[in-house]
Amino acid sequence: MVIDSQPRQALVRRVTGLARSTPGRLSLIVVVLVVASLASGWLTTWSVDRQERALEDLATRSEPLAHAAQEVYRALQDADATAASAFLSGGLEPSQLRERYEKDIAQAQAALSVATASSPDLTATLAAQLPVYTGLIETARTNNRQGFPVGAAYLREASGLMRTQLLPAAQELYRAETDRVSRAQDEADFPWGSVGVALAFVIALVLTQRYLTRRTNRLLNVGLLVATGAAAVSLLWVTTVSVLVMNDVSDSRAASQKVDVLAQARIATLTARGEETLTLVARGAGQTYEKNFVEVSERLEGLLDQATRLGDTEAVDQAMRQFRQWQQVHQRIREADDAGQYNDAVALIDNPYFDSLDESLVRAIGEARQDFSDEVAVARASLAGTVVGVLVLAVIGAAGSAMGLWQRLKEYR
Amino acid sequence: MRRLALAAVMLLGACSAGPAPSEVVPRSAVAPQPANASTVSAAPSSAANPPPSCDATASLRPGPLPAAGQMPPGSTMAKIAQRGRLIAGVDQNSYLMGFRNSFSGEIEGFDVDVARQIAKAVFGDEKKVQFKVVTAAERIPMLQSGAVDVVVRTMTITCDRLKDVDFSQVYYQAGQRVLVRRNSGITGVESLADKRVCVASGSTSLGNVVNRVKTTVSVPNWTDCLVMLQQGQTDAISTDDTILAGLAAQDPYTEVVGSRFTDESYGVGVPKGQEDLVRFVNGVLERMRTDGTWGGIYRRWLTPLGPAPTPPVARYRD
Repeated sequence: MVIDSQPRQALVRRVTGLARSTPGRLSLIVVVLVVASLASGWLTTWSVDRQERALEDLATRSEPLAHAAQEVYRALQDADATAASAFLSGGLEPSQLRERYEKDIAQAQAALSVATASSPDLTATLAAQLPVYTGLIETARTNNRQGFPVGAAYLREASGLMRTQLLPAAQELYRAETDRVSRAQDEADFPWGSVGVALAFVIALVLTQRYLTRRTNRLLNVGLLVATGAAAVSLLWVTTVSVLVMNDVSDSRAASQKVDVLAQARIATLTARGEETLTLVARGAGQTYEKNFVEVSERLEGLLDQATRLGDTEAVDQAMRQFRQWQQVHQRIREADDAGQYNDAVALIDNPYFDSLDESLVRAIGEARQDFSDEVAVARASLAGTVVGVLVLAVIGAAGSAMGLWQRLKEYR
Repeated sequence: MRRLALAAVMLLGACSAGPAPSEVVPRSAVAPQPANASTVSAAPSSAANPPPSCDATASLRPGPLPAAGQMPPGSTMAKIAQRGRLIAGVDQNSYLMGFRNSFSGEIEGFDVDVARQIAKAVFGDEKKVQFKVVTAAERIPMLQSGAVDVVVRTMTITCDRLKDVDFSQVYYQAGQRVLVRRNSGITGVESLADKRVCVASGSTSLGNVVNRVKTTVSVPNWTDCLVMLQQGQTDAISTDDTILAGLAAQDPYTEVVGSRFTDESYGVGVPKGQEDLVRFVNGVLERMRTDGTWGGIYRRWLTPLGPAPTPPVARYRD
């Protein structure tokens, strides 16, 4: 739309002319206040809605997806370690190890299909490689059953594929999903913009009130008072709710950090177990595996320490104790193996500490995830009704300012 | 009415083309390889210089063998006796020579039985031996670091290796041949010029073929080569007939072709400078040859290679 310069100047003259007379000025103020009230209400509603959606995304999408990605990694890692132990045990493959391997593969597939929703590219890599991995494992089993050492070569090839391709891809998937969680948490943060606008609106109402008092020598204007009250309540409401949400989100950050640390601890546990087993499979040629075991164990200890600092719970304490016991047994396994008592070493590896450590970590992760879910639920509950409330208050504010100023305007007729 | 609608739709379709139908693009298929597989372009450094010449297969003459449990004080054998077990570096991936019995979990084979005979001579008990699995490339470092007392692992005596370790007399005479898929048309080493061949890293076989084939792939273990052959990643495997026989026994669709094109004399590897242990091991091997133990062990493991030959003749440089 193009406005000729003539009418535009005429419009400017009319508005400035209006602003020069008191009634004109009052009419302008009415327009400004009504628009400001509705705009501030709309902005606040928009930001509250954004927070709500971010929280909903956290509870129903990001966190479950991050958990699925973590499960992909864990299940794959465990499948590989279990396949190696089954091989180590000699003779007929123990059925409980076979079941564990099958469960891991099924779990990895299930978790993968959940994670596909958000990261189709990363999961496609994994989906393409997992059947190749299981194929190699089956070839290894078939050869092993016939007493052919080439079975061990297939197992090594499968494990190599797992370590160099599948696990790094799963790691990347997990990182992508946890990044999504922290982005959603950022979005649910304090809405500075809309709180600022709401505050500015309250100030504008107070200034208008003062202006009217000076001009008309009336102490109070009921309409404006109602509008100011509504705007103040709205501001207070949004600020309080936002502070509460911010608090809950920050607690949820702590919880998800703890989940992350514990999840890494669990992966380190399984990695260390895999290395421990491979040290024995390699029969004296396993120095690299032992070196890896020591490194991963140190990392695991650090992670458990960190988890303790993030909030000491009984499950984490127990995990720490079981970790120490496991390390002691490992020491004995190494001593037996180095002293040439290979069969004793193999017998010792079948100890309960690894499994109970894993169980404690699963429990601790479950508790931390529950904390997260509770925090997000509380945050969502505190936002309940805010959108409707803010909208109603905005309408009251607009109506109040219009009515209050209308009363004064009438006096000039 | 319907015709009218159809016409309208067709008219619309004519002016506004929809997006091309989506396609599912497959990722490139995953081709797994054995861990640490690599392509070798040149022979190992030693082959660049002419190999040092020496009388490689002449070892130290054994004295009378001490009775089991009575090792001469101060000798290397006495130290082994004091430890309570012999530590032998063996293979767990060479079927028939040194391999892991997947049912019992024990390591078995021709080389393993030779190691057991040495333990039997020291302790009077062939079970007093700890096996350490070593890859081909680890044999010399493990002997040098003292991690093992002896290495009995299809180890060819060469002048090059004699600079770093000592060897017993020859306990088995092998030769390099070629393993291929049955329908490959490859008849021996001479038809490998345009082929891809797999060998274990750190083996003498590597230097023997690297200049006679198009591409050489090296892997840590011989069974990794069989994996590559079965997966079509290599055309042939070339190494000692003993090892090839073990690989062929694991896959009926492979065969050993061509004649021996090298002589590989296996000796027991001993750390450099332990002459007493070399003489002792030679004594054990001498006894195995004369009392028929050697033939017994051969028949137990290596019958797929043909009937037992006469054991290699010992040569000594005193």
